[in-house]
Amino acid sequence: MNALLHRSTQIAGTVALAVAAPVAAHTGTGLAGGFQSGFLHPFGGFDHLLAMVSVGLWGAFLGRPLIVALPVIFPTVMAFGGILGIAGVPLPPVEIGIAVSVLVLGGMIAGAVRAPVWLASLIVAVFAVFHGYAHGTELPSAADPVGYSAGFVLATGMLHVVGIGIGLIADRPGGAAVVRGLGGLVLLAGVWFLRVAVR
Amino acid sequence: MFAALACLLAFAPPGRRIAAGLFALTAAFAVAQMPLPRGSIEIVFIGCWASLVATAVTVHFGRRLTGYRPVMLAVNAGAWAGATVAVAGTTLDLAVASPWLALAVPGAWLAATGRGVAVKVVSSWLIAIALLAAVLPLVPTPGYAPDHLD
Repeated sequence: MNALLHRSTQIAGTVALAVAAPVAAHTGTGLAGGFQSGFLHPFGGFDHLLAMVSVGLWGAFLGRPLIVALPVIFPTVMAFGGILGIAGVPLPPVEIGIAVSVLVLGGMIAGAVRAPVWLASLIVAVFAVFHGYAHGTELPSAADPVGYSAGFVLATGMLHVVGIGIGLIADRPGGAAVVRGLGGLVLLAGVWFLRVAVR
Repeated sequence: MFAALACLLAFAPPGRRIAAGLFALTAAFAVAQMPLPRGSIEIVFIGCWASLVATAVTVHFGRRLTGYRPVMLAVNAGAWAGATVAVAGTTLDLAVASPWLALAVPGAWLAATGRGVAVKVVSSWLIAIALLAAVLPLVPTPGYAPDHLD
């Protein structure tokens, strides 16, 4: 069991590093295409990627039921945010919302905050709206909107799973400190993204 | 649709699972042969996405999939898949989509070994995709739209 856990966290970490874009805020994707384009969209922006992984990481830290509930809540509410983006409903600046999501989620992990189920769900849901909105604004212009939406929803879910895999490190000796350290790095990244977004 | 149905059948009793799969395929191929009016394409697509959402939501009530419920839900899913092909596809499209029902096999293994939550998580992703896809036809395509940070 320990060997399997070690192997799964190795794989999760390798996948996360392999797909991470260079350290930069999301710089734009141009005209969106189909499934591949949608799948790559969360990976193309470090802000998206860090937030998705952090949801899984925090869920792993919080344990049941949130380790399951958060990867369910985020994509579902993200779809709602996507609908708002498609419809062009005015929202507070999306870039700031996404940057704050990275900052807050990183802070929650770094601070080992054990939020109650309702609060953790609410926090993740609110941020999911912003991420979904960002994806949704590109959907109507996508060459294959259904494929594009399937792509980014699946990519989002997989990034959550990667985060959960990394979060399971906490069960190992010294793992909790590593996870909190990763949370601190995410927090710092969030501060940087927020600084860029408010300029 | 077949992927959502596979998630659902993962929680069905083994005997009902096979029967439901066969009924779904039969319904799909049967409805695909019907001469549905081309003008009903929007209604059919929205109905298909709504059926997908209903099927995926039912996954979260896995323990209540007793009796003939799996079969009835499978027939519903198959009928909507067939209707979609009837208005905007070919039988080949149905043949390509049908293997997704095989996801019920690993899904059933996960459910039997206490990891059924993974199937429920995947079904929630399908709900998200369906909701987005259902709304898209209601919005006119604006052409190229810059990224949210452009």
